[in-house]
Order: sequence, then C-alpha cells, then structure tokens
Amino acid sequence: MIWQFIVNGIITGMIYGVVALGFALVYNTTRIFHIAYAAIHMVAPYLLMFSMQSLGLPLFVSILLAVLGTILIGYAVDILIYSPLAKRNSSSNVIMVSSIGAMIIIINVVALIFGNETKIINPGVSQSITIGKILVTYTQVFQFVTALFLFLLFFIFLKFSRFGIITRAYRDDEKLASVLGTNIPAIKRLLFILSSAFAAVGSCLIAYDVGMNPYVGMPMLLNAVVALIIGGVGRFEAPVLGGVLIGVLQALVVYFSSARWQDAVTFLLLILFLLLRPQGILGEKMRTV
Amino acid sequence: MDYVIHLFILINIYIILTTSTNLLVGTVNMLSLGQAAFYGIGAYLSVLALLSFNWPLFPSLLFAMVGTGLISFLISYPSIRLKGDYFVLATLGFQLIVYTILYNWVSVTRGPYGITGIPSPKLFGSIEIAGLWPFLILSTVLTIMVVVIFYNLIHSPFGRALRGVRDDELSMKALGKNVNRLKIYTFAISSAFIAVSGFLYATYVSYIDPTSFNLDESIFILSALIVGGLGNIRGPVIGALFVIILPEVLRFIGLPDSVAANLRQIIYGLALILLMRYRPQGIAGTYAIK
Repeated sequence: MIWQFIVNGIITGMIYGVVALGFALVYNTTRIFHIAYAAIHMVAPYLLMFSMQSLGLPLFVSILLAVLGTILIGYAVDILIYSPLAKRNSSSNVIMVSSIGAMIIIINVVALIFGNETKIINPGVSQSITIGKILVTYTQVFQFVTALFLFLLFFIFLKFSRFGIITRAYRDDEKLASVLGTNIPAIKRLLFILSSAFAAVGSCLIAYDVGMNPYVGMPMLLNAVVALIIGGVGRFEAPVLGGVLIGVLQALVVYFSSARWQDAVTFLLLILFLLLRPQGILGEKMRTV
Repeated sequence: MDYVIHLFILINIYIILTTSTNLLVGTVNMLSLGQAAFYGIGAYLSVLALLSFNWPLFPSLLFAMVGTGLISFLISYPSIRLKGDYFVLATLGFQLIVYTILYNWVSVTRGPYGITGIPSPKLFGSIEIAGLWPFLILSTVLTIMVVVIFYNLIHSPFGRALRGVRDDELSMKALGKNVNRLKIYTFAISSAFIAVSGFLYATYVSYIDPTSFNLDESIFILSALIVGGLGNIRGPVIGALFVIILPEVLRFIGLPDSVAANLRQIIYGLALILLMRYRPQGIAGTYAIK
C-alpha cells in the first residue's frame, strides 16, 4: 500500500520538477523572482481547452498552440516588465512587486474571460494498468514519460549545445559572460521562452488529469520554489531532485496522516532548509545570502 | 449612511494594517508576505480572550497584541539573517503554515466553519460596544492612537536607527548598533499593532474564518501600502483609502459585481507595475523600495 503512495508521489514530483525547472531557468540565471510564473503556468490549460473545445482542434495541435500561446505571454512579461526594470538596475524587491502585479493582472483577465470556477478538460476516468500491486493510470504513465523525455532533452541540451553552455556561463557569472561577447538580452529572452514552455507543459499535464481554475498557479509555484530551494539554487538538476522529493514527501504525509497537512509540512521543510542549509541538498556556493 | 459608516470602519482597519506594515517595509526594507498571518493570529487571539476567557475590551486587545508580538519572534528570530528573496520566502512560508493551521486545526479554530457569535467587547465592564456608531468611534480612536504612535516611532531615535539600517546596514553595524535586534523588535512591534486590526475585524464582523487571512490578503495589504507610499505616515493612509474606495467607485460606475471584482484586481496589478516603473515610492511615500 505504501508503495502505491510512493509511486504516485514520484509521478506528481516529476511534474513539480518540470514546473520547477522552468522557474529555475529564470531564477538561476537572471535572479528574477518570477512570481508571474504562477499565472503563466495557469494560462496554458485554458488555451488548451479553448483550442480543443471552441476551435475543435485535435489534442496534439492544441497542446502545441497552448505552449506557443503561453510562451508569448511569458515573453510579453519579460519585454514589458522585467527588461525596462533591468535596464535601470532595479532591486530584487522592486522586480518582485512588479511580478506580483503582472500575476494579478493575468489571473484576473483569465478569470474574466473563462470564469472563476474549476474547469475539466478530460471528463471521465482514465483507464489504468497494474504492475505488481501498484495501480497506475494511463494519464500517469503519460505524465511520467513526458516529464522524463523533457528532462533528458533538456539536460542533453544543457550539457552539449551552445545554448546550454552559454546558459551555464550566464548562471556562473553574468558580467564575465557579457564581457566575453554573449548577447545577454537575447539569451535572457530565450530563457524566458523556454521557462514558459516548461510551465505550459507542466500545467497541461496536471490539468488533463484534474482540471484547473484561475488560482491553481500560486500553490504550484510555491511547490516549485520549495523544490528549487531544497534541491539547491544554482543547479539545474536541483529542481528535479527537489520536485521528486517533495512529491514523495507529500504522498507520505497523506499516507501517514492526512492530505490536510501537506502544505504545512512542505513549508516547514522550506523554512528548515532556509535556516539550516540555504544552499540546498546539492549545495553550491551562492551569490546571495 | 450606514454603508458609509461601514466603509469608514473598514478604512480604519486597513489604515492600521498598512501603517504597521509600513514600519517593516518602509522603514527597514523588510518585504513581508506574512502580514495576513499576523492579522489572523491577532483576530483569533482576540476571539480566544473575548469568547473563552470572557475578558473586557482592553485586556483582550492587549492580550492579542502581546500574543501576536510574541508569536512574531517565532518567524523573525530565525529568518532575520536571510536577505532579499530568501527573507520574503521565509515570511511566505510562515503565512502558508499559519493559514494551514488555522484551516485544519478544527478542534481549536473550528477550521473552515469559522467562529460565529463573537461577543461585542465591553468597556469598563458595562458599556457594550455594539452597532455601527460605537464601532466607528472605537475604530477611529484606535486608528488615531496607532497613527500617532507610529508617527512618534518613526521620528524617534529608534525610527532613525531603523532608517539607518534600511539605508546602510553596514555603517549601522560599524556604529555599534545591534542590527538584528533592531529588526526583530520592528517585526514584533509591527505584528503587535497588526493584531489591533485583527481585534477590530473580529469584533466588528463577529465572525471569522481562515479565508480572510490567506496569502491573497497578505498580497493585498502589501499592495495597498506600496500603492499609497512607503516611509512616512501619509502614504499608508492614502493606500488604505485607495483600496477601500476604489471598489465603491467601480460600483458607482455601474459595473456588474462579477466583472467589478476582477477588474478591481486588474487595476491593483496595473497600479503596482506602473508605480514600480515610474514612482517606486508610491503615491505619497518618501522611500522608494530597493
């Protein structure tokens, strides 16, 4: 029985990992605390639903459209809000407050268009298979495979492609990378695009399973942030590790006590990490704190 | 007319919230997303004193303030050495933990059902503060007291030390000030006075549930303060007026309620972005957050 919970936790954790990786792409490099990411994350399934149900397009075209639309919004947030602030060297608190503003706007525009209530994309119960004593639904298999595929693709790119090398250079030292001829604004835009894509895929995977409302972004963002911090800010493997850890931990909390205390345990973990090991499990020296 | 009084009471509650938060954000530059947690703790402690202990007004108020101030040490003491984003995250974590506890510890807080039938506070054991007019007077008196206290605090040597910490922490350390202790005291004072709003809210509405004290409320309080302005007394007051009166203006234009709620939020969001870009000290503030 406990293994069932752990398997569920791992699969949920992989999705946390996808979302957290998108957040980490921005935070590890630009140090922008991208709170608007919560709203960007939430937009994708609405675009998916709109494309499937109102335009009548097939699932895979719709997913593509949803991801593209989400990327556009993430791009717009960067161009309209972060870039002008970065130009005048605004502090992290100013950027964070602006980001909160952007999040509030996006959430409420979506709520105005689609309504405040929870929407379901995929009605009906997913079929399932049993491996040993463990029951896994097809949706879960799909989630697991997609997340794994994304991680592999991303880490291969990060390790071997020019983009990956520049990204790591940017993370290590923005000034030096810029002096050595990296086009920092261009790479920043690319990172925002990629980050929004991760957010979109993550949220579509969740929404396909359990549906969505305009307010799902914030809890997810918080999980992603906790995943990043306990994994270790600065490492790109960290959000994946942290995500899976949180997923399993939350599943165990459900198993041993009740789903009510999931959030409390997660944030207790965050505070413990902030106090005792702010560099996270993978522990790299940090530029701040 | 009753409605106008109701609005004034709300404005009073929010002036206390923003003024107390201003001490934290505007004078020491500690951005906190946990203010609604202290608001909630203040409200629940007030209810504990009024309902369970059956205490009169001032002892209950004092109990809520001291209790909330003490609880603030739980979060301020460990998180004070964190900088920037990490400090905000710690307050955010605290906010979510407090909310989860208020929501789920049903045997004590009655959780999502909320607490009903909160008695009107009694002054000097006999005069009951009930109804709109007495509440308006009580809340106005408390608000004026809080504003005067904060005015004096900001202009006292203590306030000057806080501004010193805000502007140049290293120099303050070099001058021999215990910066961390100053910050912890600020946190406690700010939380204790936020508890006054919690007390007013709980006794005025006579019903509380955890959803009034969630993260959105924290963001709302912070937005109100930042829109109004940081660093002085004018700013927070204007911020509170703005966030309470704006919905009424929108209602006056004649928008349907469902649209108005979202539109209001969009205006707050836009205000935050535009202010951060063009006027980071807010409408009437003296300090631009950094």
